[in-house]
Amino acid sequence: MGRRVAVVGAGMTKFVRRAQETGKELAWEAAKAALDSCGMTLDQIDCVVLGTAPDTFDGVHMKGEYLADGAGAWGKPYMRSYVGGGTGVFCPIHGWYHLASGHFDTCLVVCEEKMSSYQPHPQGAFLTIFDHTTERPLKPNLLWIFALEMNRYMTTYGFNKEDIARVAVKNKKNALDHPAAQIPEQYTIEDILNSEVLAWPVQRLDVSPVSDGAVALVMANEHVARRVTSKPVWVEGVGWALDTAYWTNRDLCYPRYVEVAARMAYRMAGITDPAHEIHVAEPYDPFDYKELHHMEGLMLCERGEAPIITAEGKTQRDGELPICPSGGLLGVGNPIAAAGLMKVAEIFWQLRGEAGKRQIARKAKHGLAQAWGDLMQVGTVIVLGI
Amino acid sequence: MAFKTRITKPAEAKPWYGDLPVESLYTMGIAGEKFFRTLKDKGKIIGSRCDKCDYVYVPPKMYCERCFEKLDKTVIVGLVGTLNSFTYVYIDVDGNPLPKPEIVGLINLDGASTNLMHRLGECKMDDLCIGMRVEAVLKPAKQRTGSINDIKYFRTTKKK
Repeated sequence: MGRRVAVVGAGMTKFVRRAQETGKELAWEAAKAALDSCGMTLDQIDCVVLGTAPDTFDGVHMKGEYLADGAGAWGKPYMRSYVGGGTGVFCPIHGWYHLASGHFDTCLVVCEEKMSSYQPHPQGAFLTIFDHTTERPLKPNLLWIFALEMNRYMTTYGFNKEDIARVAVKNKKNALDHPAAQIPEQYTIEDILNSEVLAWPVQRLDVSPVSDGAVALVMANEHVARRVTSKPVWVEGVGWALDTAYWTNRDLCYPRYVEVAARMAYRMAGITDPAHEIHVAEPYDPFDYKELHHMEGLMLCERGEAPIITAEGKTQRDGELPICPSGGLLGVGNPIAAAGLMKVAEIFWQLRGEAGKRQIARKAKHGLAQAWGDLMQVGTVIVLGI
Repeated sequence: MAFKTRITKPAEAKPWYGDLPVESLYTMGIAGEKFFRTLKDKGKIIGSRCDKCDYVYVPPKMYCERCFEKLDKTVIVGLVGTLNSFTYVYIDVDGNPLPKPEIVGLINLDGASTNLMHRLGECKMDDLCIGMRVEAVLKPAKQRTGSINDIKYFRTTKKK
């Protein structure tokens, strides 16, 4: 399986609705913070991986090239990875194979998004991701997909909106302890249920916000990692998979592509019983029901069981299986690619015991982050461990 | 970790305006053109069948994404199917409230293995449930242009 690879440093900007910084400046702030966190400088970095979602958000064509200097790529091997919303978790996987191959010893992984540039609302940027002949003439809104999927999930298992809203309450509350969070808040289930209906059953507070922000990791091979830090966090497993390219043809109540990606990562990590061997997880939660959906796809519980263990409190920070202790996309914010990498950074901090007020109660040796993207059919999974 | 927010109101950052003007002229493709011509000229919905995978794509595809074989077997599926999910949409793509909520659904046409996304019409919100039978309402032949909008919408099937 190649050489052992570790995450040795992490940094991020605050997630905000409208950053004064340009995308390049956001990338630099996060990259610099990650290097500083492990006492490294740019000349010790062998290669750079950049993640950023559609070019249309920043309104910059060839965003990878535009962001290169902010990501620290001057004079270095540099590649942009792109799998839509799955990008943030795919980028450290990309970093992993740069290093596992033995070709490089250190890699700086940077993810950036500046969604606020898009006018009047970034939703519009998604219009052109639909099939140009069969779907775009219907003037589809991205929310349609989520509403159709959420309705299908709720109807299949007989869950009501309250069962789903618990996730939004938990994550937005968790985010109160995250210094970089955009919309932390103490809500009640009623607040979620009373928020504006966007596309039933999706309501305003079921959805993560529009955000600007950047996150970066420093990754290194074992012999470098052990010199840089006494607490390397190892990449134990990686997995990624694609379902059908036609989003309408997926099983809308079960994310099979996440299961395939998770099985790949678990096999590599030697995990046979994820519900007990994964001690903390950051599944992708752009919508509250997606956290539940993804917990099931990650086999952290049985199908149709995620809302039940959420109601029992198992997924709280002091529970048996803390889920999204960071506050997730629902609370910390959702600058697409950066949001996924924020989840990986959170697992890094949790496993090192450096999550401060967000530190989970239980002991954790293995943690997982997962993201979802492209036209909703990509699953990306990374398992980290100490 | 120490974080600063430099601006608290979005309007405080000095902006400048720019755009990326792009226009496109798409083709419908080999399978797509057949689909839309049949819809326009005959008022029928066709799909392509993969015998190997026992799978029917609607709209049709030139190849099977599963086994990667070329698909040249066209099948006519009916205008009737099952509603697999639906949503009431209250906002437009720019986040503004719609004057009247739209209903959008995923329809599994009888004989198809796939779902088609389309609008639902002639129905009240409370009448809908997943698993209902729905049928396509086509525009009159003269008004059809060879577009997915030649299907006006789907409605619940009339009880006989």
